[in-house]
Amino acid sequence: MALAVPLGLLALWELLARLAVVSPRYFPPPSRVSTALVDGFTEGDLGGETLVTLTRLALAFALAAVPAVPLGLLMGMVRPVREAVEPYIAVLFPVPKIALLPFLMILLGVGEPAFVLTGAISAFFQITISTLAGVQTMDPRLLDVGRNYGAQGARLFTRVILPAALPAIFTGLRLGLGLALVAIVAVEFIAAKSGLGHLVYRHWQTLSTPQMYGAFALVGALGLLLTRGLRALQARMLVWQEDPGRL
Amino acid sequence: MSRRPGWLAQHWLAVASPVALLIGWEVASAVGLLREAFFPRPSTVLIHLRRLVTDGTLLAHALPTLSRIGGAFALAAILGVATGLAMGLWRRLREGLDPVFAVIYPIPSVLFLPLVSFLVPRGETALIVTTAATSFFLVAFTTTEGVRQIDPLVVEAARHYGARGRRLFTAVLLPGALPFILTGLRLGLGYALIVVVAVEIVSASRGLGALLWLSWQVLKVEDMYATFLVIAALGAVLSYGLAVLRARLLPWAQDVAER
Amino acid sequence: MKVVVDDVSVAFDSRGHTVVALDRISLRVAAGEFLCVVGPSGSGKSTLLRVVAGLLRQTSGDVRIEAARPGAPLTAMVFQEHALLPWRTVLANVVFGLENRGVSRAEREARARDMLALVGLSRFARHYPHQLSGGMKQRVGIARALANDPEVLLMDEPFAALDAQTRTIMQEELLRIWASLGTTVIYVTHSLEEALLLGDRVVLMTARPGRVSQVFPVDLGRPRGLEIRGSPAYGVLLEKIWSQLRDEVVRAMDADRDP
Repeated sequence: MALAVPLGLLALWELLARLAVVSPRYFPPPSRVSTALVDGFTEGDLGGETLVTLTRLALAFALAAVPAVPLGLLMGMVRPVREAVEPYIAVLFPVPKIALLPFLMILLGVGEPAFVLTGAISAFFQITISTLAGVQTMDPRLLDVGRNYGAQGARLFTRVILPAALPAIFTGLRLGLGLALVAIVAVEFIAAKSGLGHLVYRHWQTLSTPQMYGAFALVGALGLLLTRGLRALQARMLVWQEDPGRL
Repeated sequence: MSRRPGWLAQHWLAVASPVALLIGWEVASAVGLLREAFFPRPSTVLIHLRRLVTDGTLLAHALPTLSRIGGAFALAAILGVATGLAMGLWRRLREGLDPVFAVIYPIPSVLFLPLVSFLVPRGETALIVTTAATSFFLVAFTTTEGVRQIDPLVVEAARHYGARGRRLFTAVLLPGALPFILTGLRLGLGYALIVVVAVEIVSASRGLGALLWLSWQVLKVEDMYATFLVIAALGAVLSYGLAVLRARLLPWAQDVAER
Repeated sequence: MKVVVDDVSVAFDSRGHTVVALDRISLRVAAGEFLCVVGPSGSGKSTLLRVVAGLLRQTSGDVRIEAARPGAPLTAMVFQEHALLPWRTVLANVVFGLENRGVSRAEREARARDMLALVGLSRFARHYPHQLSGGMKQRVGIARALANDPEVLLMDEPFAALDAQTRTIMQEELLRIWASLGTTVIYVTHSLEEALLLGDRVVLMTARPGRVSQVFPVDLGRPRGLEIRGSPAYGVLLEKIWSQLRDEVVRAMDADRDP
């Protein structure tokens, strides 16, 4: 039943395009878009391009998550660290990360490193902030319980603090992945010569609209799969958590 | 951050850290430890910033950006709140639109530019509509959450004491959802800035994003940094300015889940 | 008779099978009487109250409330979790029902202030609910109900969420207020002690499906104070009713145990 509305809309679009009520040049019927998609995978290199985007995403995410989680934890537990780092996060968080792209391209040239790093930075702030929040908002009584039952230092960390912060960390990772994907696709659209974002741009310029919408849909599907997938994973791994949150 | 006396003593690190960085950068750049071509001295950047202001370039580019953000935000806010309220109140609508939104939301707004350009004549309108895209979803989504999180017991009590239909809406549902709506608007405004910069890079000749890209293309690095500074300042104002406003307007909503 | 509950049943569908919350309940409440309804969890006491309040539609049977004063609402309920509107001040919350009924501003404010004085919260008229303690919030809930001047006052375990000490004080307060107003009250509680302290009669309900097990008159005299809890008559009555209630509670717990 949840699919009724989207399917209905697609059917409507198909009809309007076929009847030329809307220009089929600019709004090709979904049937043609799906054909283009299939052809892209079987005959063209759509699979390869998708892989390119995914690879950039994976790299960006890893580059972001690996430093961000420990940093967030450190900031949550050691006050001077938080004090020293917080101003940068506060200032840079609201900045469009895409604005960093030109700088990165000057430093690293117009290529993969700059693209991946832009995505990584987008995710980095979110993950750090969420991790920090996870530590800061944990029930302080849990610490008392831990200490009372003999957990100190490293043990307190691994047995109490980390699990308590885990839901927030996971949410941060999930949001960060979404942000990284958005940043990378945007970067591809603007500056790259490969990847799904670039495909949308290229097909736009050549007005190969079925291919353009196809790439479009792929990006949406990718984003959806990743976030929903991670959310399901989160629910399964963190069984005790009530509600992993909606987005 | 409260300005109590002793705030500085407590938070000196938060101030010292960036200051130290700037000083270190200035020195390293002047001495040659950092390549000045890539990392111009902060003092040089400021000089260039002043020039941009005095010769009118900054204003010429800042105004279009601001007006686009304003237009996009207004569009996203009005449509977003309306849609969000409708979705919050009518379950069928929400369930129908949810999958549509879920697929569209992860797509970066800037990607909608082609689509929008098919629908709407090229130019300011297209830029504004594209910029409004993600913000719209954000506002709609948070508004829906805002309606749904109202304590059902409070709604029941309000009904019991005679609030029906329109009255229930204005006296209960709207104020109840307001904290979330305002948070959504704040986030939406921040996103409008993010998207407008990307959109300007792709498709505009004037605007802060365009200025940034232009400066990059002619390798005027100091101008790049100066523009970046302006963009960052704008981001901070939009993000935090609204947060302060929200705290003022809603004294009763102390801790609302932001996400 | 002020309130007549005539053969009321409430049944609903839950996951395929029918759940009977109330099974042919019949009750009569005299004008000015303080009736307490006691029973284990799941006995449908709150459901009964909601039916009388008109918040829930019964599956069969009838509820008739004598309307002695034209224009006065039939019921006003005090909810367990106060259910105040967080975005309204204390005063604004108390006038809510009057506002919805179109009472003039001057009149409703005067009435609200009277009620706030009665519950001892005059000083807090401009405060917001989140600034008040649990007991104070509940007092506002009572003021809100009384401000509406209902034919029947309904109270759904109003003090259950409070700590024992606050609860005792509130019970005392309630007795004082009721003594001065003489409203008809139907009071739901799971505490037998509370029911004997407050009520003229105690209705004992069974575990699900909820039926009236027995009705006990409480001959402990009026005016009544906390000291009644030390009297031998109280002890005897408590013993007598508890042995019956206990059976019902155990029956309810056993029902939980079964898959």
